[in-house]
Amino acid sequence: MKFEDDSQNLRVRLRVIQILIVLMLAVLGVRLYMLQIVKGGYYAERAENQRIRLLPIPAPRGAILDRTGKKVLVDSQSIYNVIISREDVKGGFDSLIEPLANGLNVDPEYLRERFKEIASQPAFESIRVKENANAQDISWVEAHTLEFPELRVEQQPQRRYPENGMLAHVLGYVGEISSEQLELPKFKSKGYKPGDIIGIEGIEAVYDDALRGRDGYRKVVVDSRGHIQEEIEKVEPQAGQDLVTTIDLDLQATAEEQLRNSPSKRGVIIAMDPNNGEILALASAPTFDPNLFSQRITSKEGRAEYAALLKDPRTPLYNRAIQGRYPPGSTWKIPMAVAGLQQGAISIDHSALVCGGGITIGNKFTRCMGNHGTPELRMAITKSCDGYFYRLGLKMTLNGIMQMVDEFDLNKRTGVDLPHELISWTPSQEFKARFNPRDPEWRDIDTVYASFGQVYDFVTPMALLRTIASIGVGGQMYIPHLMKEVREIAAVGDPDKPDYREARPAHGFDRTQPKVIPIPEDQHHFVVEGMWGVVNNGGTAGKIKMAGFDIAGKTGTAQVVGLGKDTGENKDHAWFVSFAPAYKPEISVLALIENVGFGGTHAAPAARALYDVYYRNTRHEDPPGALVAKK
Amino acid sequence: MVAILEKRSLRDFDWLLALLAIGIVGFGTWQIHNAQPTEAYWQKQLIGLGIALVAMLTIAFTDYRKLVHFAPAFYIFGLILLMIVLVPGIGMKINGQRAWIKMPIIGQFQPSEFVKIPTVLMLARFFGRPRTSALTLREMVAGIFILALPVGLILLEPDSGQAITYFPLLAVVLFLSAIKMRFVLAAVILSVLLVPAAYIVGVKTGKIKNYQQERINVILDPDNADPRRYGYHTLQSIVTVGKGGLTGSRAPREFSQSSLKFLPEPHSDFIFAVTAENTGFLGCVLLLIAYAILLSRLITGARRAPDRTGMLVIMAIVGGFAFQLFINIGMALGMLPVIGVPLPLMSAGLSSVLATFIAIGFAISVQLRRFVN
Repeated sequence: MKFEDDSQNLRVRLRVIQILIVLMLAVLGVRLYMLQIVKGGYYAERAENQRIRLLPIPAPRGAILDRTGKKVLVDSQSIYNVIISREDVKGGFDSLIEPLANGLNVDPEYLRERFKEIASQPAFESIRVKENANAQDISWVEAHTLEFPELRVEQQPQRRYPENGMLAHVLGYVGEISSEQLELPKFKSKGYKPGDIIGIEGIEAVYDDALRGRDGYRKVVVDSRGHIQEEIEKVEPQAGQDLVTTIDLDLQATAEEQLRNSPSKRGVIIAMDPNNGEILALASAPTFDPNLFSQRITSKEGRAEYAALLKDPRTPLYNRAIQGRYPPGSTWKIPMAVAGLQQGAISIDHSALVCGGGITIGNKFTRCMGNHGTPELRMAITKSCDGYFYRLGLKMTLNGIMQMVDEFDLNKRTGVDLPHELISWTPSQEFKARFNPRDPEWRDIDTVYASFGQVYDFVTPMALLRTIASIGVGGQMYIPHLMKEVREIAAVGDPDKPDYREARPAHGFDRTQPKVIPIPEDQHHFVVEGMWGVVNNGGTAGKIKMAGFDIAGKTGTAQVVGLGKDTGENKDHAWFVSFAPAYKPEISVLALIENVGFGGTHAAPAARALYDVYYRNTRHEDPPGALVAKK
Repeated sequence: MVAILEKRSLRDFDWLLALLAIGIVGFGTWQIHNAQPTEAYWQKQLIGLGIALVAMLTIAFTDYRKLVHFAPAFYIFGLILLMIVLVPGIGMKINGQRAWIKMPIIGQFQPSEFVKIPTVLMLARFFGRPRTSALTLREMVAGIFILALPVGLILLEPDSGQAITYFPLLAVVLFLSAIKMRFVLAAVILSVLLVPAAYIVGVKTGKIKNYQQERINVILDPDNADPRRYGYHTLQSIVTVGKGGLTGSRAPREFSQSSLKFLPEPHSDFIFAVTAENTGFLGCVLLLIAYAILLSRLITGARRAPDRTGMLVIMAIVGGFAFQLFINIGMALGMLPVIGVPLPLMSAGLSSVLATFIAIGFAISVQLRRFVN
């Protein structure tokens, strides 16, 4: 140092500054070590995550076709959705709710739920804020790219269902997977993610696995604003498999038309091939528009529409065929007749029982609709003699009735390929105890009620039809089903890559083996003769007779309330169960019209309308006596 | 005379210092190119380096004592520039700060970078007289006054980042002018106590705004700060640095943090993060070592200075340089809040490069005259 100032410790002070600088650089070095060496991998991954996006390419869902495989019942069409990349939302979601709700005409409440739901999901997932955006919505998004750069318009296949709610209960509908469903192992294990469209009801739900395509995706690099810079990888989607149903469109249309034109406009019509269980038509009225769920459910109007459907006392969302439990009334006499013969309560040679115009048990008289003397079984069926069956029931006892129920699977689900099928309620000691706790003991009078399809019998139309159809073909109980075939779909992608989508083979319905009920041929013939008489020999449905195409059937009138009060809204349910031709059945039809009165008056003509169509389509000529039945 | 000067100059010229500085600028230019490959910043930086070298040589071969003698004139000229920059028609407003003057050829220039030099000269002139006694209060007030004028004007721009870089100039000068150690200790203790207290009071009274709080919170806990808001720049800088790993990121340059615009201001304020991404821990440590050698070299020069004035000029420059280094790299590493201070010799910007080389020119000038008296 050239100048003297040792008194001020200048050398020391210079050294202090130098040491401070070295320390400071050392601190920076240590921090660098922490960030780059210790946590380098973590930050490299973080950098990768923020620039890589997986953009799904939605796979089209398989179409649903009629039994010819030619007419399309449901398919998918392209629609546009407005989506948000969660990663790209810089501010909070809350500030987005109002402008988006106004700009895109969506329910703010819906957006709030959406944003809450997505908060728990990975950041690169995107949220659908508006489905089925129209041209106006898309231009709104384009006009506001500066304010909301995180908005994107995405193309997506959307389900289109037939108009007027046709086949609504059969086809069901799709919707977005719910957060509860995502937690279920059945969905979790298959890699479903929020926003995935799944079948919620009907065939869409049961065959979701087949119908669902496998989404493809694009792996892209985005900049800090979410703008796509480059595509790194693309995996093509694999479409879903097409499904051929057993539905015959002509029969279906007729069934729906019959219900629509019925006085109460409520009821069920099912047509089935008794030789294999294929359901040719299934109509439940009133119906609903499944497009509500696939297209409009996110809009304000759509949610109001859904709320109204849920509140509607006519329960249009229920599939009455498998979710309605009705007293079968006199239709119950058919399985009773078969079981009575099987169990030996009566025999072909000695089948006559007294009608007596009714029966007195204790001090209570239960009447028959007429006085039929002492009819044999066939006449009792043809004339629907209650008195006969009271006595048959008493001969069979509760055990015999329960054995019959068990034999015809009336206390089980039919196994039809539709979701949420209910089990019928059938007579038993336990049922009585639950039904009437003040008098839990099973008495003879209860057996009388149980034997003519009232009080202790509540069956689903599907279970009843399966029973009747099986009797028609001599004891072959097929599982009713709607799926005829699932078609093959080809493989997609490179077999050596992990995202290779294997080909999915075609297959048919897998439970085709019938349950065989041992009904001796002569007993079968005997009962069918009685049913033949119902239509062809002056029975309760004589007015629907078709010369040359013999319908065997049974009417039923199910009491809703006590006698005398059965008017207006509380009128009896009208039943008609049948198959034809009587001795070599090709088709079995069930019709139930709610609260209209006698089965022979209302249900039988509705069934006849289906037979007309069937006759015309298979025999290629006008059905005999068509004008009479058409009314 | 000229021949003697030339010969001795060539021998005594601090080649290592000059080459190290040029080397760092060269390395920095490469990183600027990495940060903004499609922009012309790196070319401008090379032009800036050329101009800066001429300026450095001119200063180096001028007797610093003459320049210090005229320090008041430079100082007043500097203050006038700082006032002119505030005039709306002349001063350019960028990011809400009126800190630049538009120039015909070189583009824009930032007076606050240059005024550091007259301020250093003014301080050196005032405190450079031979000392025999401890620093008086009067001298301290005078020093504060010299600093307060330019700092006040810079705060009007407002550019608090630049203003902060002036404080170490005075601190170093006072420290080396026999300020009593108890003052130093008192200052250290007070700042340790007062800074958190001021922060708490500021938050309570609402003087420190939300975004400022968040900028500080993100440093304390970067992983839990809201990455989409004010912590964004700090977090992105940390991610960029960390991504570099040991030897630099292997990802293609189009996917770099700066190319995808995740890292803001990659060519200027966050050039260190870019360096870290591209060259990794090794490159960064080498850069820090280069800075350490450069600063040590300057301090050695200060020790050999022929007089107090020369020593103070170099040490004030060292103080300012080291402080900026720490603020800028500390910010890039997420240890300090985001303050717009360039990294000397690395950040793109003509004003910064030129001012730094002029300062180095002074240091060389002092050393060249170490045997002259």
